[in-house]
Amino acid sequence: MVRRRKPLPSSSLHLVLALLDGELHGYALMGRVAELSDGSVRMGPGTLYGALNRLVDEGLIEETTDRVARDDNERRRYYQLTSVGRSVAVDELDRLQKLVRRVARHLPGGAVA
Amino acid sequence: MTDRLAIRVYRRLLWLYPRPFRDEYGDDMALLLADQLRDEAAPRVWLRVALDLVLTVPAHRMEARMNRPRSSAVPLLFAVIALAGVIVILLAATTLGIVAIGASIALVSGGLAVAAARRSRPVGAPAAITAHWWQFLVGGAVAIGLLSVVTGITGELPDGGWAIAMAVLFASLLSLVAGVLLGLARLGGAGRPTPS
Repeated sequence: MVRRRKPLPSSSLHLVLALLDGELHGYALMGRVAELSDGSVRMGPGTLYGALNRLVDEGLIEETTDRVARDDNERRRYYQLTSVGRSVAVDELDRLQKLVRRVARHLPGGAVA
Repeated sequence: MTDRLAIRVYRRLLWLYPRPFRDEYGDDMALLLADQLRDEAAPRVWLRVALDLVLTVPAHRMEARMNRPRSSAVPLLFAVIALAGVIVILLAATTLGIVAIGASIALVSGGLAVAAARRSRPVGAPAAITAHWWQFLVGGAVAIGLLSVVTGITGELPDGGWAIAMAVLFASLLSLVAGVLLGLARLGGAGRPTPS
């Protein structure tokens, strides 16, 4: 029997959904989350790296560090979904789509998502 | 405020976070702030950073505190006090008042040692042999206490009774020594990282 996971917390959910397109570094991730949420979700550094730390610990994402050396020698850490993380992200997406469809069916006039 | 000064101020503010988190992500967080200051208006960025600090620092502090390995020093200290109570009983076995004081110290401190040892055990962690150190101490102390009470009440032991008493005393002392050694071994191993 497949064990069902609890839904991810909001910040983690946004991050795994943002990483579905491929690996990103912290600032790019923050921008992608803001873009996906129409600017309504803007994380601060503590929230972003706290959530990334938990996702790494849970094995949903992994670091792919040491990629891009900037002019000033600052190195950025990139993150990507693991196979488990990708599966969780797809499941979360599916759960949200079902939720929206069910709610939409019960709205007056049968509004469609 | 120039960006360079802003980053220095932010690096100081990062000291509010627990050290492991700061060591792991401090540079990335400062780099992230530099990126934000480059692309957005500074007051807006600082407002977001202030809110972020207020919300995340207590959470990270609490998380770090909950994950901190617990010390075996407190239960061991209570166990040593309990042992001192037993020694008092042994040294003054004929004076009832002092025996009562020694017994009270031994019982209260032993109870506190047991409670502290139970509290210091990580939830769900497998119990190593060193985790049972307090049981050796309590067992030895109780046996010596009982022996003292029996010899104090009866005054003289029947033939063959001394041999049994000596055997019990020897076993009790062995148990006490084992308890102290296991407790020290556990205390020494408390700082080591646990395998994941």
